[in-house]
Amino acid sequence: MVLVFGGAYQGKLAYAKERFGLTAADVYRCSSGEAGMPVGKKTVYEIDKWILALVKADIDVSESMKQFISSNRDATVICNDISCGVVPADSLLRKWREAVGKSLAELSRASDETVRLFCGIPSRVK
Amino acid sequence: MRVFISGGCKNGKSYYALRLAKAQHNGGGLFYVATMKPTDAEDRERIDRHRREREGWGFATVEQPTGIEGVLGKCSPGGSFLIDSVTALLFNEMFPVGGTSGCGAISPAEKTELGLLRVIDSIENIVIVSDYIYSDAMVYGDLTENYRKALAGIDCALAKRCDIVLEAAYSNLVVHKGKELLGKLYDKML
Repeated sequence: MVLVFGGAYQGKLAYAKERFGLTAADVYRCSSGEAGMPVGKKTVYEIDKWILALVKADIDVSESMKQFISSNRDATVICNDISCGVVPADSLLRKWREAVGKSLAELSRASDETVRLFCGIPSRVK
Repeated sequence: MRVFISGGCKNGKSYYALRLAKAQHNGGGLFYVATMKPTDAEDRERIDRHRREREGWGFATVEQPTGIEGVLGKCSPGGSFLIDSVTALLFNEMFPVGGTSGCGAISPAEKTELGLLRVIDSIENIVIVSDYIYSDAMVYGDLTENYRKALAGIDCALAKRCDIVLEAAYSNLVVHKGKELLGKLYDKML
């Protein structure tokens, strides 16, 4: 598994597409309205949105992440880093923010390589 | 050298940017391109603080809150430039005081990006400061989200074109591009 993270609009998907020669059909686009586990594609894009769907549906994120990892060993997983702002006033967003942080740590531990994007430039952090 | 520097607030972007621009000064002009349009007392206080910080450094201040390529007509391109910041330039183009933006056929974001690219293509020694506002958990309205997306697009275009790309991280510098080039410059920094 390769984990690609970074702030919004930093070129994460463009990086993965170029590096792995992906087409749109290779990309699973997560949605905050779909709590079903992303599986079966080479790339999982914006896993943070799936995590938001889990939080909204009150599903155990840690358990879901374990299953996700074992089902996506060969995937490239892309996540928005949402950890650096003010603590949100909304309790759902607060739960989401913490769940994304814990999940990123979990995903990074399970990944063979972790890459952070900054203004379109990749840095290998693992 | 063309240098792009970004990072969160209070991380030392301006501190390093001033020193980098000064280190690139080679006898031509030394220009600080100010981009902020003060709208209240807090803005004026911030501008005064920045001015005090620059005192004694030898910078000539050039006001260019919109139409950034205008600096090319005002200053000798052989000088060393510091533009602070992309964030304010885009804001001024997208949200002009008392009206709609007058960018004609192109969007305010395109105008800002094209203007900045023209400037960095014409000037060899330049430092450009932006703000990294992309890693929070807020859900914004369209107005703010469009601004964030446009700023990120300009940041990526500038980072691609610049020789050195830096991230200020609480008084440390993370070098994303141009490590060797920065090494040469670093020796000249105060």
